[in-house]
Amino acid sequence: MRSVRTHRRALQRAACFIAAVLLAGSSVARSNDKDQDYRDKDKGYKDKIVALRVTQQFFDEALPWRKKSPEVVEGTAVVISKRLLLTQANLVQSATFIQVEKLGRADWIPARLVHQDSAINLALLTVDQPGFFDDLEPAQIAANVATRGPVHSVRWKDRQLEVSNSRPGRIEVLESPYGSVHHAFLRLSTDFSSGGHAEPVFAGDELIGLTVMQDGQMATVIPAEILKAYAESPAREGDTDRYRGFASIGSLRWQTNTDPALVAYLGLEGEPRGAFIRQVPWGSTGCSSLRPRDILLALDGHEIDAIGNYEHPLYGQLRFDQIVVEGHSPGDVIPARVFRDRQLLDVEIELRTSPSSARLIPWRRSDSDPPYLVAGGFVFRELDGRYLSIWGTDWRTQAPNQLVYFNDLLGIAQSPEHRRIILVTQVLPSEYNIGYHGVADLPVKSINGYPIDSIADVEQAFGQPKDGLQRILFYPNSTINEVVLDASTLEAATAAILADYEVPERLRLPEGALPDLGPPCPEGTTSRSVLSD
Amino acid sequence: MPLVGSEKIRVKHGLSIALWFAAALASTGCPESHNGKTLIERSVVRIVNHSQRGDWHAPWAPQAPTYSGGSGFVIEGGRVMTNAHVVSDARMILLYLHDDPTPHEARVKWIGHDCDLALVEPVESGLLDHLPALEFGDLPEMGSTVETFGYPAGGQRISSTRGVVSRIEKAVYAHTGADSHLTVQTDAAINPGNSGGPVIQDGRVAGVAFQASAELENVGYFIPTEVIDHFLKDVSDGTYDGYPDLGVQVVNLENPAARRDSKLGPEESGVRVEFVYPKSSADGFIREGDVLLAIDGHPIANDGSIELDGLRVGHEQLLDRRQAGEQVPLDVLRDGEHLHISVPMQVYLPFNAYRRRYDELPRYYVYAGLVFVPLNTELIATYGDSVPEHLLYELYFRPIEEPQAVRRESVVLLRRLDHEVNGYMAWYRDLVVDRVNGHPIESLEELIDAIESNKDPYQVFEFAYYGRIGVLDRAAADAANAEILRIYGVPEDRNL
Repeated sequence: MRSVRTHRRALQRAACFIAAVLLAGSSVARSNDKDQDYRDKDKGYKDKIVALRVTQQFFDEALPWRKKSPEVVEGTAVVISKRLLLTQANLVQSATFIQVEKLGRADWIPARLVHQDSAINLALLTVDQPGFFDDLEPAQIAANVATRGPVHSVRWKDRQLEVSNSRPGRIEVLESPYGSVHHAFLRLSTDFSSGGHAEPVFAGDELIGLTVMQDGQMATVIPAEILKAYAESPAREGDTDRYRGFASIGSLRWQTNTDPALVAYLGLEGEPRGAFIRQVPWGSTGCSSLRPRDILLALDGHEIDAIGNYEHPLYGQLRFDQIVVEGHSPGDVIPARVFRDRQLLDVEIELRTSPSSARLIPWRRSDSDPPYLVAGGFVFRELDGRYLSIWGTDWRTQAPNQLVYFNDLLGIAQSPEHRRIILVTQVLPSEYNIGYHGVADLPVKSINGYPIDSIADVEQAFGQPKDGLQRILFYPNSTINEVVLDASTLEAATAAILADYEVPERLRLPEGALPDLGPPCPEGTTSRSVLSD
Repeated sequence: MPLVGSEKIRVKHGLSIALWFAAALASTGCPESHNGKTLIERSVVRIVNHSQRGDWHAPWAPQAPTYSGGSGFVIEGGRVMTNAHVVSDARMILLYLHDDPTPHEARVKWIGHDCDLALVEPVESGLLDHLPALEFGDLPEMGSTVETFGYPAGGQRISSTRGVVSRIEKAVYAHTGADSHLTVQTDAAINPGNSGGPVIQDGRVAGVAFQASAELENVGYFIPTEVIDHFLKDVSDGTYDGYPDLGVQVVNLENPAARRDSKLGPEESGVRVEFVYPKSSADGFIREGDVLLAIDGHPIANDGSIELDGLRVGHEQLLDRRQAGEQVPLDVLRDGEHLHISVPMQVYLPFNAYRRRYDELPRYYVYAGLVFVPLNTELIATYGDSVPEHLLYELYFRPIEEPQAVRRESVVLLRRLDHEVNGYMAWYRDLVVDRVNGHPIESLEELIDAIESNKDPYQVFEFAYYGRIGVLDRAAADAANAEILRIYGVPEDRNL
C-alpha cells in the first residue's frame, strides 16, 4: 500500500513530467517553427527564380567573318509572370543557346529570348515547354526600393538555393555598366561572391532589384522602378515596334557649376546653382532646346543645385539624370528652366533614348553581326568599342593613337554627314595590293571621291572607279594618305584573296537602319571636329 | 627628319639602357698594335658632368643636381669631342686625362643635340697640347673590326672592347628622340660611360660610341664620321645651325596602279609627296602629288631608297648631308612634266616641339596659382604612360590634320597651386587653352598679354576640347599673385 505522501510525490512528479513535456513540447514546437521559417523562407524564393545557362559566341573582331569559340556563362532569371523570365541583357547577348533550370532539379530546359534592351541592360525570356511555369510563382515587383526589413539576394548555385542577407547602401545615378542609360542604381552590400549575373534582390517577398555588377562585396542593382517599367512595356510581347525604351540624359555633356566667379561672369544672380552645359550632341536629350553654356536650373519642376543634384521624394539627393528616366518615356516633352545669354528662359525638352548606336563610335554593337567588306585584300569595317577591345582592357595605351582619340574626342557625337567611322583594319597581302601590305587601322575619308560613312558607301564607291583606278583616301595620318589600286582587276583579285585567306563572304551589310536622331541640334555639338572639311 | 605622328608615339623616350655592371675589359694586348693603342689611349679622356636639369612638371625650379660619366677624345684645336648627352645641362664639367689624377674643368664650346655631338674645351688653355689629336677616318665596311676606347661604368681605368661592324643604317638618335641619322651597329660592347669615346679602325676614328640597344644583346651603336663631319662643318662658321629638313612626307610607289596614277614612265621610279609641312623648306617648291625621281642625280627607287657609295640607303641620307642654307637639287615629276627643282634647305623650327630639350629651363607662366606651360615632348614625357589623349592629339596629329589651324605654340594649363582664389578650378588641369578673354592664344607670350592687359572684372579662360570654361575674379587673382608665389616657393612668376 502506497502512502499518501508517495502518491503526492508521484503526482508532483507526474505534474512535473507533464509540465516538462508541455514545456518541451512547446519548445519543440518553437524549434519546429524556426525550421518552418527556414523552409518557408527557402520556399518563398525557390519557385520565383531559375538558374540560367547561356552559350555565347562572339565574333573575331579582327577577322569579322569568323566567330570565336563559344563560351558558357551562368546566371539567374526571375519569374515575373506565368510566361516570362527577367534577366540581364548582357548575359544573353550573342546567345546561340539559352537554358534554364528550376527548383534545384537537374534538368536544363531550353529557353528563348522574347526581348532585349541593351541600353537598359534587361531582357525577357520564355520557355516553350508546356507546363514549365505551372510550379513556378511570379515575383511581385516592388513599387520602389525604399524598404525596411530584411533584404536578400538570391540565386541557384549547383542546384542549392543561396540566400544572402544583403544590406542596402546608397542610391546613386550611374551610367548603366553594360548599357547606356544614366539612371539611379541601388548599391548593395552582399555576402555573395562573384555576383553580378542578374541575382534578384528581394525585400520580404517583393522584388526590389536585379544585380548587374559586383565589385568585391559591393553589388550594383537595377532598381524596382526600372524593372517594373520594362516588365510592363510592350517588351513583354516581344513587340519591338511599339517598345520605346528608356529616356536618358546620355551623351549630353555638362559640369558642376560651383564657381561663383563663373556664375557672376555669366550674369546669374544669387548662389551658384544649376548644371553648366558643355556639349549638346545630335540626338541627345536636350538637343532640341539646350545649348552649350546654358545653365540648367530646373527640369520638370525640380530645381537643380550646383553639383547637378535634385531632391528625390524618396531617395534624397540624386543627380538630375534620374528626372528623365523615372515616370517618363522617350518622346515625352518636359519643361526646363535655363539661364542663357544673361536671361532666364523657359524651354521644353524632348526626351530621347541614348542607345550606344547613337554614338559615332558605338561602344556596344547590340547583338548584330559586325558589318565588313573585303575589296582587293583591304578589310573594311566600322570602328566601334568591340574593335577597340581587341587591345584588351588597356586599349587606351595599346591601341593605335588615332583610333583612341577618334573615340575619346569625337566618338560621342554623330552629325548628319558623319554617322560612322569606317576603318581599313588590315590588308590581306597579295600581288594586287603590293606596296600597301603594312596598311592597318586607318580611318577612311573617301573612296574615288565618294565620302565614306558606311560599309554600304564603300561598296557603292568601289563601283565608281575613275580613269581605271580605285583610290582610297584616309583621314590625314603619318603613314599613308592615299592608296591607289587598279580598277579592272579588283574583282578577280578580291575573289582570289577571299579563296586564299578562306574568307567565306565578301560583304556583310549592317542589319537594320541607323537610329533616327531627329533634326540636328540648333547649335553646337562637339567643340571641334577633324571630320569637317 | 623627325618622326611625327603614330610612329613617333611608339618611339620610347628612354635613353640607352642603363646597365651598371663592371665592363672594364682588359685590352687584348696584341704586340704589333700595342704602341698604336697606347697612342690612342692617351687621347681618350674621362668626362664627369655635374648637371642639373629642368623640371617640366614643376617648371619654376630645376631638379636636383646629379652627375654622370662618359668619355671623349682629343681632336685638333685643343678640344675634346664627346656626345651631347654626356655634357647636357652641365653645371660643371671635369676632364680626367690619361694617367693624370687631377681633374680639369672644362666648358662646352659647341653642342649639337640633334646629332648628339659636342665639343668641350678645357678652361686651362694649352692643357691638351701634349696629347695627340685623333684623326678621323672613313665609314668602316660591314664585317670589319673596330675597337672602342672609353671609361664605362665602374672603373677608373680606360677600357677597350673589340667587335665587328654588323649593320649600317639610319636610326633614331635617342638623345632628342626625334632625329634620325646614319648609325653604325657593332657587337663591340658599348655601355653607359662609353658614350663619347672613339671607335677606332686602323688607328683612326671611325665614329663616336653613343648608344646601345634596349632590346637586343651585344648591340651597340656609334656615330659615323659622316655625321661628325656635318657637325664640325656646321660649327666652323661660329654658330651651330643644326640639321635642315626638307619638310615632306612621302609614300612609296611600289604598286603599279599608283605608278600609273603618278604618270611614271615604264623605266622610272620614285616616291610620291603626300604632305608638305607649311613654311618648311619644301613649301613653295614642292607640291603634294609631286613624285621625287632623284636627289642630287641619284635615282630614287619605288621604295624610297637610293644607291649611295655602294650601299642601298634611304633617300633621306642625301638630304642629311646638307647644311642649312645649302641647296638640294631634285628631279621631280609633276602631272607628267619633268622638272628640276633646287630647294634651299632650312632648319624647320616647329619640329623642336618633338625633340627632348636640354640646356634650358622650361618656359612657364604662373598667374593666380594657375601654371601655364607650352605643349612639347618634355611635357608629354612627364605623364609617363597616361598621357591625356587630347594633348597627344594636339601635339602630334593636329599639325597633320589641320596644318593651317595648328597653333604656333599650344599652351597648356598644367596644374594649379591651391589657393582660395582658384579653388573652383580644382578639376581644371592638362587642358589646352583656346582663348583668354576672347583672344585666341598661339603662344605663351600671347597668353600673358591677354591676362595682363585685361581690364574687365573677370579673367575668362576657354579651353579647347570638351567645352570647358574657367573664370577668375580679376581683382582677387591679381591681389593673390605674389602671396601664392611666396607660399609655394616659386621664385619667378615666369620664364620665357
